[in-house]
Amino acid sequence: MDLNRPALPLQNKTARNRKALAATAVAAALLLSACGGGAVPQGAEQAAVADPASGANASGAVNICGVKDASGIYKGTAEAFTKANGKVTAKYTEIGATTDEARTQIVQRLEGKSTECDLFLTDVIWTSEFASQGWLLEQTKLVEANKDRLIPSTVETTKYQDKYWASPFFTNAGLIYYQKDKVAKPESWQQLYAEAAKAPGNGYVYQGKQYEGLTVNFLEMLYSVGGEVLDDQGNVKIDSQETRDVLDFMTEGLKNGSADRAVLTYNEDPARLAYESGDFGYQRNWPHVYRLLNATPLASSFGVAPLPAWEGGKASGVLGGWNLAISAHSTNQAGAVAFIDFATTPDWQKHVAMDYSQAPVNEAAYSDPAVLEKMPFATELLASVKGAKPRPISPVYPQISQAIYKNVYAVLSGTASTEEAVQKMAEEITAAKASF
Amino acid sequence: MATRTISPSRGPAKTSGRDRAERRLALRMTAPSLVIMALVAAVPIGYAIWLSLNQYSVRTAGLSRFVGLENYINALASQEWWAAFGQTLLFAGLSVSLELILGTAMALLLNLAFKGRAVLRTVVLLPYAIITVVSAITWQTMFQPNMGLVTNVLSMLGLPGGDVVWLGEHGYAMAVIVMADVWKTTPFAALIILAGLQVISAETYEAAELDGASKWQTFVNITLPLLRPAIVLAAIFRTMDALRVFDLPFVLTRGANGTESMSMLAYTQLRENRLVGEGSALSILTFLTVMVVSVIYVRFAGGNIRDVAKEEQ
Repeated sequence: MDLNRPALPLQNKTARNRKALAATAVAAALLLSACGGGAVPQGAEQAAVADPASGANASGAVNICGVKDASGIYKGTAEAFTKANGKVTAKYTEIGATTDEARTQIVQRLEGKSTECDLFLTDVIWTSEFASQGWLLEQTKLVEANKDRLIPSTVETTKYQDKYWASPFFTNAGLIYYQKDKVAKPESWQQLYAEAAKAPGNGYVYQGKQYEGLTVNFLEMLYSVGGEVLDDQGNVKIDSQETRDVLDFMTEGLKNGSADRAVLTYNEDPARLAYESGDFGYQRNWPHVYRLLNATPLASSFGVAPLPAWEGGKASGVLGGWNLAISAHSTNQAGAVAFIDFATTPDWQKHVAMDYSQAPVNEAAYSDPAVLEKMPFATELLASVKGAKPRPISPVYPQISQAIYKNVYAVLSGTASTEEAVQKMAEEITAAKASF
Repeated sequence: MATRTISPSRGPAKTSGRDRAERRLALRMTAPSLVIMALVAAVPIGYAIWLSLNQYSVRTAGLSRFVGLENYINALASQEWWAAFGQTLLFAGLSVSLELILGTAMALLLNLAFKGRAVLRTVVLLPYAIITVVSAITWQTMFQPNMGLVTNVLSMLGLPGGDVVWLGEHGYAMAVIVMADVWKTTPFAALIILAGLQVISAETYEAAELDGASKWQTFVNITLPLLRPAIVLAAIFRTMDALRVFDLPFVLTRGANGTESMSMLAYTQLRENRLVGEGSALSILTFLTVMVVSVIYVRFAGGNIRDVAKEEQ
């Protein structure tokens, strides 16, 4: 079966044929499983290793694949690299409109040993899964050679079984945007919620739809209370007082009007749009929102703050961002190494911030005057990034995340009690881990 | 199946030599397409059944172990499956009944002779021409809290519902999904019913008129019974589609608030969790549900199709 063919109907949102979209899950099952069935067993243990020195004598073409390039950062980096390198040409191929679609497309190519893409832009949460399948070239030597230019927390997102499987390209951490004329800069979650409840226009909006974003919003609070999902040994630790406290706190916030009930339908963009209407005091979102907010009437009245701490505790966010992973089936590994070298240089990392409003993985960039001019909240952002923790590291992360967002959603929407949700979360995460 | 019973009968079954020769020729001519059908339909379905009897390892891609019916047993023992099953049936029941009622009304309207009828028929079909995902996104935008069209209009008019988070509440979320489906596919039902309406001969109505039947009596005693085959046909198509619903709940709610369909559940296992065996079992269960429901239709309602077809001869 040809594995390089375009998307399956079920995933391809641009498919023109309605029938194809409505095609039974059976059909999708067949096509998909037909692809997965033939792969040869191969684990993370036997993976080949990227040679850091190889980048110097690289030549040829490098194809980088990933999600739709909304900010232009991927294409821009590829062009700049081609110009700077001279010997290697880089090209960016968009293979999915959303993160979910891109993952589906990448998995399909990796399972089928496609040689189409040399590098994949991978979400930080995909590392363990991809590495565990033997799909990636191990980058330990490369990462160690570049380590002094990378923020440690961002490097952690590329780790699986004590090896590194990707290089961080840009990072991401949640921020609080607040209306300076209405509400105070948040120091603690408790204070933020109390301020938000004070007046009708002070409310807080975040991402509360049943999806990955809710997992992130929940974990940001859970981590700041000191709770966790898995401990260092990988044991399930979600059944805790901390989890209960956070769930009760979030539910109470929806009841007393601190947070608008509409957040139950919000992912990133609707939350941003609601906030832009001026009817809210606080918004939790990613750094890219800064640039967009500046183009609205709120431009002069909003402030940016790192995520607050739990009362009496320490602030701790959740790390997002994108890494560069070399496909195990790449035909130009040296070219891929050269590209990673370029993309992580302190100089290019400044451009990541200045030209594309993304968070650099190089610490020095945050204090660069040119960066600060374009990104005045760089100091707050760095604080958020350095304090942030990765999401649970596991090859079955998608299942773990589902267990979290489905049950958190059930509590927030009032269809389950905190107690029921905590127990189900623990059970489902345990079951998910057992499936690996 | 249903279309064949509706078509005129094939005449007396006398088998002459010429008939047999013609049949052989027909078989020879259709053989290639039969082979292709078998390859594109039977082989993959068989393969899916095989996959559903195995457990695929997430640890080692591609490695599988025969587990018999274990995937099915686990699925049938899980709360998720039964929730999705119930929700899908509820969705199908609500949306198909609304579509049939509205579709019949629409067909009767379109059957009237008036100026611009041809244009109206085309316009009415427009929602059906829109890709489901696109219309789902439109509905999502309309029902967005704080800035959606529906919520704004409701609050402006001071009507209740302006402050309801439609897609964030149990019940309301399903209502929006049903509405979106009805909006989109009623024209399809109307089209099939209209076709049925147009084969009812004018003489029948003339006779009724001569007998002094009122408009309502004509509708109940003549139009409706004669329309039954068309309505049943529309019901079969729409029910089968509705039981496989995926894109509407996927876009509108991601399965939250009691809207996760059977197909969505299978998708999550297959795609997001890469649990090929479990996902295939869920797909087969969805497939079986659709099949059982259509067999019931053909057995009970389909009998009417045959009766009416016979009566018409």
